[in-house]
Amino acid sequence: MKTGIKILLFTAAACGIFVLCVSAGSVFISPFRIPEILSGGAGSVEYRILVDLRIPRILMALVVGASLSVSGVVFQAVLKNPLADPYTTGVSGGAAVGATVAIAFSMSYFLVALLAFGGSLCAVSFVYAVSRYRGLSGTALVLAGIALSVLLSSAVLLVFAFSRADYVHKALLWLMGDLSIAKYAVVMRMAVVSLLLTGLGFLYRRHLNIISFGDEFAHGLGVSRGDIVNLFWIASLLAAISVSLAGVIGFVGLLVPHVMRFMFGPDHSRLIPASALGGAVFLMGADTLGRVLVPPYDIPAGIITGFAGGLFFLVLVIRKGGAYT
Amino acid sequence: MNLFTVDSLRAGYRGKEVLHDVSITVGAGEFAAIIGPNGAGKSTLLRSLSGYIAPSGGDITFMGKPVASYTRREFSRELSVVPQFTETDLSFTVREFGELGLFPHRKFFDVGMSSGNEIVDIALEAAGISHLRERNMMEISGGERQLAYIARALVQSSSVMLLDEPVSHLDISHAIRIMDVLHSQNRQGTTVITVLHDVNLAAEYCSRIIALKEGRVFADGTPREVLTYEKVEELFDTVCIVTENPISKRPLVYPVPGFLRGGG
Repeated sequence: MKTGIKILLFTAAACGIFVLCVSAGSVFISPFRIPEILSGGAGSVEYRILVDLRIPRILMALVVGASLSVSGVVFQAVLKNPLADPYTTGVSGGAAVGATVAIAFSMSYFLVALLAFGGSLCAVSFVYAVSRYRGLSGTALVLAGIALSVLLSSAVLLVFAFSRADYVHKALLWLMGDLSIAKYAVVMRMAVVSLLLTGLGFLYRRHLNIISFGDEFAHGLGVSRGDIVNLFWIASLLAAISVSLAGVIGFVGLLVPHVMRFMFGPDHSRLIPASALGGAVFLMGADTLGRVLVPPYDIPAGIITGFAGGLFFLVLVIRKGGAYT
Repeated sequence: MNLFTVDSLRAGYRGKEVLHDVSITVGAGEFAAIIGPNGAGKSTLLRSLSGYIAPSGGDITFMGKPVASYTRREFSRELSVVPQFTETDLSFTVREFGELGLFPHRKFFDVGMSSGNEIVDIALEAAGISHLRERNMMEISGGERQLAYIARALVQSSSVMLLDEPVSHLDISHAIRIMDVLHSQNRQGTTVITVLHDVNLAAEYCSRIIALKEGRVFADGTPREVLTYEKVEELFDTVCIVTENPISKRPLVYPVPGFLRGGG
């Protein structure tokens, strides 16, 4: 079967990229030596590099990439807008304000993440309340999200205006999406939560297929308002935990679902797993590129994904013209 | 027994009431058209029947129980809806699209792919698009796509179908194909309630015409009862001539160009 081969090739490519990403970095470690180093014990420098630095960071990229991309798929279906992304609902703006305030008061990583998470939940709740008032329409939701994002980014700049320069720099790095802060304990907890939410989203795959055709269509087929509300919160929570742990990494949730839809078609029973895998690989690749491009500097993953996403959409617009508007 | 009983229904959208005091009943096996000028409340009535909009006053019951008392899933197993045609860019195959109709009959955790295959095949056959089953929805014509929408609805429920202007964007040949499919379904027992813009299609195919004007029932009866020139002229505020289709002996309405009534 054709799709079967595609999935197989795709998975194989993902594994290949994973191995390359573990090898690549300011110190190149040959893929063939990795098992030997890992079994060799904690003594060697290479072991420390792999276990303490690269692997947690790569795991973080995988989890965050998968979460953002699944969140994007769900939002695009629920909002019936191919340009919706995990941040459409103001998740990133809320998280940015929370994190910036925390950094300006030089709080710990844990508190930064906590405030970011709180901020994004406040933003989502606000957007949800507004769109609920307007009958949960997709357009109202997108517009409320955009309006709130503008307000919140002004709030971030306001905090900057009163902060010390080194804190501003630290906050900016966070805003660009930084995976270098990954820690095993955090990654593992996030992986469990992400997996649960993604699994829940997958159970709704048939709902998502139907919702994509419009509200009245979905209503006529028995999709209830409660189903849509659940999907909204699944997607929002996936985005909120990603952004509060890894910063604002743009375009993953927009670009990956588009590519996956092109490769595997619009059926969400394929689209959700494919996007999870594709998003994971894409962010891992982007982060690795950021690590190896100009050593010893680390380019934050959010910058790489921003460039990739922007270029991708330019090419799309030039090739397809207005077909995507 | 009455399928739908609508009693002094008032309904509309946020702050704007469209239907004022509509009372009708629809029995099982009817083929009813809802006609009337733009803005008369045709779609609003259909959407009230399907439960898509909640009435602001009055009652709607379906098989003796209020529409609002059914869960979405229960209700969508009883009746299927074909909303007004909107273009999408989702590249499902015709067959996959038809399978969407199985949705309310499946359990939430159901992973089976094969159950219901025959129902989909039968529906595609009934809509006359079996030969397109593996084609992409994006590649077929607008008329064929509408037939796929109808096949999808048949998969969901062939006992009651509600349709909102199923043929208004189509040429005569496709319009006739779609009305023929609905007609033959009706003969096999499907109750069909459809909004139609074209009064002549309503006259040819339907057993009953419900004419709405300004949110109220203006006339209700067989095509011969409703489509008289006095009624049609007042309904559409247009000078019309009503004759008879020489083949089917049904009423045939045509407008007289250049004459609007009431100085309009």
